[in-house]
Amino acid sequence: MIEVQDVFKTFRLSRHQKREMGSAFQGNTVDAVAGVSFTCRPGRIFSLLGPNGAGKTTTLRMIATMIRPTAGTIRVAGHEAARHPEKVRASLGFMTNSTQLYDRLTASELVRYYATLHGVPADAYRQRRDEIFAALDMEGFADRRIGKLSTGMKQKVSIARTMIHDPGVLVLDEATAGLDVLASRAIVDLIRRARDRGKTVLFSTHRMGEVGQLSDDVALIHRGRLLFSGTHDQFAAEMQAPSLEDEFIRRIEAADR
Amino acid sequence: MRTVITVFRKELVDTLRDRRTIVFMIVIPLLLFPTLFRVMFTVQRNQAEKAQAKNLRVVCVDGTAGRFVRMLEKRDDLTLVPNVPADSVSALIGADSLDGAFVFSATFADDVAEMKPARVDFYYKSADDSQIIRDRLRAIVDDFEEQLLDERFQRLEFDRSIVDAVDLKSHNVASMEEQVGRTVGGMLPYMFILFCFIGAMYPAIDLGAGEKERGTMETLLTAPVNRFHILLGKFGVVVLSGLLSATVSMVGLFVAFKQSKEIPPEFLAVIVKILGWDTIVLVLSLLIPLTIFFAGVLLSVSLAARSFKEAQSMISPLNIAVILPAAIGMIPGVNMTYATALIPILNVSLATKEIIAGTIRTPHLVLVYVSLITLAIVSLWGSAWWFRRESTIFRS
Repeated sequence: MIEVQDVFKTFRLSRHQKREMGSAFQGNTVDAVAGVSFTCRPGRIFSLLGPNGAGKTTTLRMIATMIRPTAGTIRVAGHEAARHPEKVRASLGFMTNSTQLYDRLTASELVRYYATLHGVPADAYRQRRDEIFAALDMEGFADRRIGKLSTGMKQKVSIARTMIHDPGVLVLDEATAGLDVLASRAIVDLIRRARDRGKTVLFSTHRMGEVGQLSDDVALIHRGRLLFSGTHDQFAAEMQAPSLEDEFIRRIEAADR
Repeated sequence: MRTVITVFRKELVDTLRDRRTIVFMIVIPLLLFPTLFRVMFTVQRNQAEKAQAKNLRVVCVDGTAGRFVRMLEKRDDLTLVPNVPADSVSALIGADSLDGAFVFSATFADDVAEMKPARVDFYYKSADDSQIIRDRLRAIVDDFEEQLLDERFQRLEFDRSIVDAVDLKSHNVASMEEQVGRTVGGMLPYMFILFCFIGAMYPAIDLGAGEKERGTMETLLTAPVNRFHILLGKFGVVVLSGLLSATVSMVGLFVAFKQSKEIPPEFLAVIVKILGWDTIVLVLSLLIPLTIFFAGVLLSVSLAARSFKEAQSMISPLNIAVILPAAIGMIPGVNMTYATALIPILNVSLATKEIIAGTIRTPHLVLVYVSLITLAIVSLWGSAWWFRRESTIFRS
């Protein structure tokens, strides 16, 4: 379970950043996330949607305790993120399109490294490693250095790294961005399997096809504010445009007016 | 502690598999001195041999020194160039058409006969190997002067020893260890400090800015471990790299000494003797906090940078900040005092020199430790502070 309650994240701008914002911008801070609340439940897939710069990555990084909220509360698997960040991270599998791997390590070395950091006992590690490597068909390149692997192979290593400690909560930030159909399929399969095993899945994406295909719940965020939060069925029922993508654009444009 | 060791082991493997880091950490420190010595001595020897073997083109102006001219004519290592006017010798030597010229005064023969100082103007060009040429020509004049002096003493029926009013015999009581220690003791700390910094530099850039640039930092921060422990693991590898680099450079220097035929074996034996285990342990005990200080500064800068390239350009000026105090320590007359014991880098340079010479005083050493350990703690704290800052880690 992920519970996000009235969360704000304010960034102080450097002089350089203020210049980049243009002369029309006044003030020294910017609210990347402003009063966002939603709940992701176990056994369901929650899609966080929004255009670039909407505040999705900031929200997910706060959930993963990489950055702290300026205000509000986040609870992951029953642990309050601000108070027990390490417990939150222990129960969380986090993957983004920008979370890269160490090119000079082999696939096996990398997965073992993260298992050790997550405190997975040796025998449990061996069992889980064998299961995951077999499921993702990774044995053929397990001892090859990651720098020598194809994008699809790297994606599999990334999944293995995310799942090695058997997290109860999965957070995926645009994890399929920039991937081809085959590599994306591996992520989509991971999301489905995780839901079927009763895990909480929160993912952000730009691909509306994935949203329609996978989502149980949907939240739409724009300029740091929540425009919609509810079930996918509710979202579909309220649609005024012919497709999910058109409805997404319609709501964004309406908010900008 | 488990996390620190896990991160340390992983970062060490990662670092040792990076060719660029290996080149800076091991290959350059190991090969620098043997290569430098070989090139330097070979070029020097070749130049010297060439200058010694060269047949010199020499001019004697004014015939009143006919005896000197005849002396030159008998030599087969030089050629006398005839008919060159006095006013053109400078230009000809400057243009390398001549190697030297002796211009005798018009009264030279008379002055010799009257036992007065007889003037000779000696022209030469002193640059590079011409020092040897100058010495060769000068030796001819010295021989000639000796002959004239012998003749004068014979004419006066004096024994030549009467001009030696004092028979001075110098005895340097400084041991070979002290003499060698003074020379080597100035150079060693400079090298230790420099290689500690250079060796730590690339791993620090790679484990900070490099990790941010490659996008692996975000992955690492998803692990349920304390950030300070991650930093300590990285710190360990950076410190080890610096110390390893300094040690390898010492091995390189030792190999260079051993290979070089120009360095007398007794000099080498003294170096081995003064660099005993107790000296090495004491010097290392200074280098460890110094390298921790370097690691803290380097990692802080590296973490603040957006990319590997930016970190490199930010760290490059720091080289001067390290070289300068280390080099000041090499200057004769700059000694360990209560003030210099507190100046970082310079204090290690001076303390190492004194440890090698065996003249280090305990209060000075204690002050150096206090200064270094304080700086090491501050730099570790500083880099931990940087590492906790969201704006540093996610700066783009």
